[in-house]
Amino acid sequence: MVHETLAATNAVVTLDVALPDVFWGWYVTMNMWAKSIGTGLIFMLFLLLKKNASEMNALRTPAIIVSFVMMNVFLLFTLADLHQPFRMWHIFFYPHWTSAITVGAWMATIFVGLEFVMMAAMIRKDKCLLTKDANGFFDKLLFWVTLLAIPVTLYTAGIMAEATARELWQMPTESVQMILAATLSGSAAIILLGGSKLSDETKQFFGAVLGLSALMAFIIYMSEYVFGSMKAEEVTAILAYVKGDGEYATMFWIGQWVAYILPMLLIALARVSKSNSLLSLAAILAIAGLWVVKHVWLVIPQLLPLS
Amino acid sequence: MQLGFLVDLHLCMGCKGCEIACKVENEVPLSTWRLRVKYVDVGTFPETKRTFTPLRCNHCENAPCERICPVSALHYIENGIVNIDKERCIGCAGCVMACPYGAIYIDPETQTADKCTYCAHRIASSMMPACVVACPVEANIFGDLEDPKSNISSYIQAHQGNVTVRKPEKGTNPHHFYVGGGNVNLNPLASKREEGYNLFNKLTHLPLGGHH
Repeated sequence: MVHETLAATNAVVTLDVALPDVFWGWYVTMNMWAKSIGTGLIFMLFLLLKKNASEMNALRTPAIIVSFVMMNVFLLFTLADLHQPFRMWHIFFYPHWTSAITVGAWMATIFVGLEFVMMAAMIRKDKCLLTKDANGFFDKLLFWVTLLAIPVTLYTAGIMAEATARELWQMPTESVQMILAATLSGSAAIILLGGSKLSDETKQFFGAVLGLSALMAFIIYMSEYVFGSMKAEEVTAILAYVKGDGEYATMFWIGQWVAYILPMLLIALARVSKSNSLLSLAAILAIAGLWVVKHVWLVIPQLLPLS
Repeated sequence: MQLGFLVDLHLCMGCKGCEIACKVENEVPLSTWRLRVKYVDVGTFPETKRTFTPLRCNHCENAPCERICPVSALHYIENGIVNIDKERCIGCAGCVMACPYGAIYIDPETQTADKCTYCAHRIASSMMPACVVACPVEANIFGDLEDPKSNISSYIQAHQGNVTVRKPEKGTNPHHFYVGGGNVNLNPLASKREEGYNLFNKLTHLPLGGHH
């Protein structure tokens, strides 16, 4: 690890504390990945409602259940990552509003609560206490839940921005990446959930959302990869972990290929050949690859010595 | 009152008395440090010298750890110290991620964040921090930055142009200053870290962190 050393000084650290290991590891990756799918599905349901409401009938229940489950996976891993998980309630009783963690915890809790109401309305359609028109009730609530899904998706980027020590995580780049992760994984999830229940036209539409999300996210990562190191020495040092023989170079490129490049190619092929199988394969790869991409970007800034 | 620290690196001889005093005073567990002295060797044999840099919490005016803490476990007190309430901390490690100086760690015994508090409990009893008392050459200078007649203010005035802080570009406004600090001492990217050649051989990664 050397970037600024001059041959003249030949400075070598001969005694410092042991570097701490990675603090935010794969539990946090799971957190971001599951949240992307959870909120992404809501965005896609809202898009479907606006584009072709008649196709909503088959998807309201499965999509809200999967979204609810993924949001609970997100909450579970958030809790598990705390060193004092039984003090989680402090966030609600001693909230500190300058912290994106606090704001996010509150919004995510409200979001999951609303999702529970929507899910309950769909599962107990006939006995719904709130309304006799469960579908109408669901669709009305979907608008507000979609609005709330935006900050729930973005707040992790806020946390990363507040992590002053980690120069790689910049605003607004991380915000854009969070939204794109949600649209990528949400469209992929709805393609897989929709199966034969969605028309070919609608599936191709979600395929286009997936492909465009992958393209934009890939462009941003490549921009950072190529140009990021021209601004700040810390970014240069961090990006060295994903370049050349860097510790995370292989994992970085596996993520880029699986999450973005291959899905883009498969979606292009699926549009030409009208193949649903290729579309499904693209969706599976995008969801799997997103985990890898998120993990690499989460870990590499933590490898840098700060003292 | 705005308490601050200044270390005169010309005086520090790397005895680690401050480090030990801090460990004892604050019962800092093994493998963790509130204050440590970094050694950097400079030059090529036989023209070499060793530099010593005590590193501790900078008690920033614009503290990223205070801002990111979701439960105000990290908070300012009236004298400018960034203190920590370990009973309130939930161990999210947000502060560990935010502190640009690597000054915060997760206490392996309490599973909460911990860091230098400028010995806030001693100051409350009108005593100096333990590291100041232990330093045999008075390289650690502690006092009120708002009082122009305090030791620290006089020292800063006397060494105008040679007083630096760590990572000023982060905009944290540290209340911890160095006299005689340079790029080699204060910039972590300005010196090599060669695995296997440190005095702490094979101890470069401790399993203190999260799940990965």
